[in-house]
Amino acid sequence: MKYFFVILITFFVISCNSNQPKPIKLNSENCEFCKMTIANGKFGAELITTKGRYYKFDDVACMLQYAKSNQVMVKMFFVNDYLKENELIPVEKSFFLKGGTISSPMRGNIATFSTSKEQKEFQAKLNAEAMTWEQVYNSY
Amino acid sequence: MKKIIGILFLFLISISNAKTIRVGSSFPVKKVKQALQLAVDGDTIIVNGGVYKEGNILINKKIIFLGKNFPILDGQRKFEVISVNADNVVIKGFKIINSGYASLDDPCGIKVYDKSFVKIENNILDNNFFGIYLQNSRNCLIKNNKITAYGKQEQLIGNGIHCWKSDNLQIIANKISGHRDGIYFEFVTQSIIWRNISNKNIRYGLHFMFSNDDSYITNVFKNNGAGVAVMFTKNVKMYNNYFEENWGDSAYGLLLKEIADSYIFNNKFARNTSGIYMEGTSRIKVEKNVFESNGWGMKIQASCMENEIVNNNYLKNTFDISTNGSLVLNTFNSNYWDKYEGYDLDKNGVGDVPYHPLSLFAVLTEKTPSAMLLYRSFMITLLDKSEKVLPSITPDNFIDKTPLMKSLPL
Repeated sequence: MKYFFVILITFFVISCNSNQPKPIKLNSENCEFCKMTIANGKFGAELITTKGRYYKFDDVACMLQYAKSNQVMVKMFFVNDYLKENELIPVEKSFFLKGGTISSPMRGNIATFSTSKEQKEFQAKLNAEAMTWEQVYNSY
Repeated sequence: MKKIIGILFLFLISISNAKTIRVGSSFPVKKVKQALQLAVDGDTIIVNGGVYKEGNILINKKIIFLGKNFPILDGQRKFEVISVNADNVVIKGFKIINSGYASLDDPCGIKVYDKSFVKIENNILDNNFFGIYLQNSRNCLIKNNKITAYGKQEQLIGNGIHCWKSDNLQIIANKISGHRDGIYFEFVTQSIIWRNISNKNIRYGLHFMFSNDDSYITNVFKNNGAGVAVMFTKNVKMYNNYFEENWGDSAYGLLLKEIADSYIFNNKFARNTSGIYMEGTSRIKVEKNVFESNGWGMKIQASCMENEIVNNNYLKNTFDISTNGSLVLNTFNSNYWDKYEGYDLDKNGVGDVPYHPLSLFAVLTEKTPSAMLLYRSFMITLLDKSEKVLPSITPDNFIDKTPLMKSLPL
């Protein structure tokens, strides 16, 4: 019986401490920073705080401005994959392009790719500048 | 003298030289593209009724392009239907359907590339990704078009009329439904939006971003996903519009964010979750509007300042005003509040005691939304009454000093 409780408690602790992003509901959820309804599944973003709260954004620019202006302790950042429909990927594993003909809802104009091959392929197509997450983070 | 007449005559001949090319199954020219090849600047092409599946139709000459009996131009879900790449083009009387879909280059029904004086009139656009797209254009007219799409939640779809980096546009009497945003303005200046009906769009009926010095007058925005949004903009005039039935957790009749020096006059906000939501707005005058049967008449965030709210009617709203802070930097004067319970002894039409539009419960629900459960309970009514007499939680200077006894005839 004791073991059962231990297992149950560990189960609860683990389930509370998720590192998985919650999917963004397009056209019904609001951007936490700019209050616009999130409609484009190529540019959305999400962060999880150390307390386990989720905040959703329509643009990487909104997420970074929110993360820097408020007293939220951020645990993880996620961004939408530019080539998929509304799929969130962690920033550490992502490759970024900025500017060129990319046009995002709040003019952050940052597109995210899951492989460096895709990034290189689209860099020429979109006439954009390649960036790492550190560069993106420090540009706001 | 004779020479001058001769020159004039030659000049007239050269003008009247413009020809008309007819396209249709009973004419020698059967295809639109063929007619476009034959045409030169100044010509007219009349396309007769029928179905034309010719992929992308590129207009790169200054022509008048007319449809008779609404000929159907079908993009077969693969192409941008009409691309305009010349000044002074007129497109009138077509039915444009099935543009390409959800690809990265935003395919449209009609797209204008960096041009001026283009007129798009009396067309029917059905089931396109973007309807009409003006990019970097000046002095264009979009009039009397009916733009319909069938967007659903959780699906990517373009805007009805999308204008980007343009100037001096006239958007008049269009009907738009089922797109992401009915009308979308980004970096558009000195333009007018007049007499349009924008309803049942997925997100906003009208969406302004970074667009200064524009007006929108006498439009109807009804039943859109989240109402109308005017953001990061200054000097916008909003007259005589209807904002109706925008229901939902994140829906507002009118969402104002980071806007300044604007004028909201004689609009009607009826049956919205929130009539107006203001955040970071300053120096706006809200005058002679009607707020009727909304959940919240106005939600004014603490980041707003120097706004003037004068001569409005607040009727049958659950909450007239709500705010999230205690600092009051906006003025309320001479409004009619149907919840006002004061008296008027000198009979000058103005209540003798000031009105506190901010109810205790509006403040409480702003802090803890779940407190809504207790709404209309006996204790809350009691607390609300005592708060009106002795303000403690609500800011005591949040008042209308001259509330009207009778509603304004608006």
